Amino acid sequence: MSSKKKRSPNTSNDMWVVVAADSAVAAPRPQDGDPVMVKLRSPSTGVASLYMFGSGNAQVYEVKAFNEDYHSWFIGQTVHRDGKLLYITPVDPLYLLLPYMIQAAKEGKFQPLHQMLIDEDFPACTRLLNCKQTETSIGHVAEEKEVGSQKFYRYSREKTMEWLKKKVDKTVTALKNAKISVGEGVKSTTYIRVKQECDGREEDYLRYAHGLISEYISEDLSKDLLKHLQLPEVTSPKKAEPPSKKRKVSDKPVEAEEDYTKFNSTDFARKPPKKMTAAQKSLAKVDKTGMKTMSAFFSPKAKTEKAEW
Amino acid sequence: MVNEAKLSSQSTSGSTYRAAEQSSPAVGVQDFSSAISMVLPLTCAVCFRLTRHTHTMDLSGFEADNSVSCRLASAVPDVCRTEDCCLGIDEAGRGPVLGPMVYGICFCPISKKDDLKDLKVADSKTLTEAEREALFLKLDEAKDFVGWALQILSPNTISTSMLRRVKYNLNALSHDAAIGLVQYALDCGVQLKEVFVDTVGPAEKYQEKLSQQFPGVEVTVRPKADSLFPIVSAASICAKVARDHAVKFWKFAENLGDVDSDYGSGYPNDPKTKSWLLKYLDPVFGYPQFVRFSWSTAQTLLESKAVTVHWDDDEEDGEKAASRQKCASVLSYFGRTKPSGSGREPHRFFSERKLQTLDTL
Amino acid sequence: MVQTGGIRGSEFCDDAGRKKPAVDSRMSSNASVITVQLGSFGQAEKPQVHLLPCEIEHDGPAEVSRYFTPAVKHCKNEMSVSFRGRGLRGAETSCPHGYSGLVLKEDHKPASDQEDRTVRISSVFHHFTYWNLETHPTSDDGVVMAMTWPALAQAIHGPVD
Repeated sequence: MSSKKKRSPNTSNDMWVVVAADSAVAAPRPQDGDPVMVKLRSPSTGVASLYMFGSGNAQVYEVKAFNEDYHSWFIGQTVHRDGKLLYITPVDPLYLLLPYMIQAAKEGKFQPLHQMLIDEDFPACTRLLNCKQTETSIGHVAEEKEVGSQKFYRYSREKTMEWLKKKVDKTVTALKNAKISVGEGVKSTTYIRVKQECDGREEDYLRYAHGLISEYISEDLSKDLLKHLQLPEVTSPKKAEPPSKKRKVSDKPVEAEEDYTKFNSTDFARKPPKKMTAAQKSLAKVDKTGMKTMSAFFSPKAKTEKAEW
Repeated sequence: MVNEAKLSSQSTSGSTYRAAEQSSPAVGVQDFSSAISMVLPLTCAVCFRLTRHTHTMDLSGFEADNSVSCRLASAVPDVCRTEDCCLGIDEAGRGPVLGPMVYGICFCPISKKDDLKDLKVADSKTLTEAEREALFLKLDEAKDFVGWALQILSPNTISTSMLRRVKYNLNALSHDAAIGLVQYALDCGVQLKEVFVDTVGPAEKYQEKLSQQFPGVEVTVRPKADSLFPIVSAASICAKVARDHAVKFWKFAENLGDVDSDYGSGYPNDPKTKSWLLKYLDPVFGYPQFVRFSWSTAQTLLESKAVTVHWDDDEEDGEKAASRQKCASVLSYFGRTKPSGSGREPHRFFSERKLQTLDTL
Repeated sequence: MVQTGGIRGSEFCDDAGRKKPAVDSRMSSNASVITVQLGSFGQAEKPQVHLLPCEIEHDGPAEVSRYFTPAVKHCKNEMSVSFRGRGLRGAETSCPHGYSGLVLKEDHKPASDQEDRTVRISSVFHHFTYWNLETHPTSDDGVVMAMTWPALAQAIHGPVD
């Protein structure tokens, strides 16, 4: 065989093969409009990632790609070069809300949800307010107060840990049902079958499920969850980090609780509060890693979503 | 295309032969030679018919699925099971870019060598098509002491073997086909004592290989054996008749409608063959399975006129490529998806499934 | 594309070097929206779909029903065919329950990444055939493994009591 041609970059793709939850492309009411794909912050990495909101923003989905090199499609009587297969699967909006709620909790205030959800870099995040699951399950991660017709929330670490634990338990069940190999040290799929008998260890399942849930929460939350699950932290050799100092205190209110309206949300997003209480200072001190991520998260940018809604 | 063999099936004359059709993997990781020795209990009739002036061989056993390798065989004469026999091996259609390659064996008692000579079988290359057909009929008439068997290697088998991850070259393919046929004769109870083989490659090595494979059989591998030993000439006639017939009445697996059957000789330097290859080149699929994709003629045409296709083992040996591929895909996976500024790698559930997050459509 | 240490290294350097402008342009495109037109659902074709183990450098028409489909052979749960002289072995795989296969088509490419975009559903399918180069299809095949994702996603993202 003579010389093979080099691969040229695929730059003009205009088609995507997708496996989508039926609910994502269902339009129960015409007035709710078409689904939209938008960018939101990944709750674990903070970087822009592709999500989709169903008709009327009733449900949020994430878009992942099965991307094996050297693949193409035949679709009917056409060839489609890009061999990716996209998956559009539902996402629990609470994962996406948590970074905002945790950030807001630094103020210690109860706030209406829409006040916490201000992110000028990702204006589409406000769509999360419309998700059905937001309304029905926000109580799993926050304390709630109702004043008049308005609801106010404050992130609760305890509640969140309990909620995440339930998530882990559900995931463990699903892993068992799907017969997914969870044993340690399984790197290549070819070993899976051999290893399968050794699996079955509850800790392996817990750890695996924790790893999956951690894809949707911050690194700090992931570490807290590991403790909450009473799983010892596995020290990875490359990171010689000093053991992180976890705050021992509960999420007791750190400031006068009843002042719900003290902070204007835009001010909050743009600048830190002028005065910090002693408690806030100590909180800021111990939670440095989190703060760093968060400040990167919430760097001000003037941009609004162009979509009308 | 009109299949003459099928249309004229009522006008059969002469003897009916047993054909052992076998399914061999057109593709796959199994060793081809092991597949060759695996004969399925599928039999079909191979018959002679008189169609106008020519005698043609019925290859329906092969034509039922011409994408694989198929064995056709005559009945084994009783005398061959009791008397010491000689056997000749020859091939037809090694060079052409089109159609199958056919391996043929012919065998008869050593005591009947002169009778075979009297049939005036000669090197098939020196004969016209009609002469070959006539001689094949004579061989058929001598069925009380002459037996034959054919291994038809479809062009698809040749392509997919030669282009396999772990390359299976044409020589190995031919040797395995020849060995498979000799083994077949032995399995049928033929008392083999002498084997004569025509070869284009180095004779000594091949002779050594065959002698080792069949202890107790005297093996003679010789260039131009088809003109030296009548039993090899007989084998070459069987092989050539089958090859010609298979090409002439090729049943395309593809849905191509009426195909121009003016292929020429099938040799790359034949202008007719060349223009046929140009006419039937599809920019995506290249060619029907009738064409040997592993031939440089086909490859060169595809490289210049068809869209480029990349495989994960391009340019490298199968095994090396496979391991490199695995490694590279993991690396590129992390390289692509690891968000800058974040040290977190995706959970192995996702990396093992090659699932990654997207930031845009 | 062959990934060597050097190339990878320089890519990383590039990324770091371009970090500032890259972030800026990405930020500005974060607000754009891709609308998925559901109105096209009804007219969507229901084609046969095959996933091939090679990259074909082409987008456009292909005579699949002339050259490919008629040559496919079925044997038990496995299929075989060849493409460009290479042997393929394949199997049928279905979309998970509650999921459908869609082909999204963008008829007008946006001029910049800040523009809103629109895609329509050009095809719908519920199962497809995936092909391996020479190897028998098994449950360890990438695309089969990936099909377990929706069930796991349901557990990770479904509401808890």
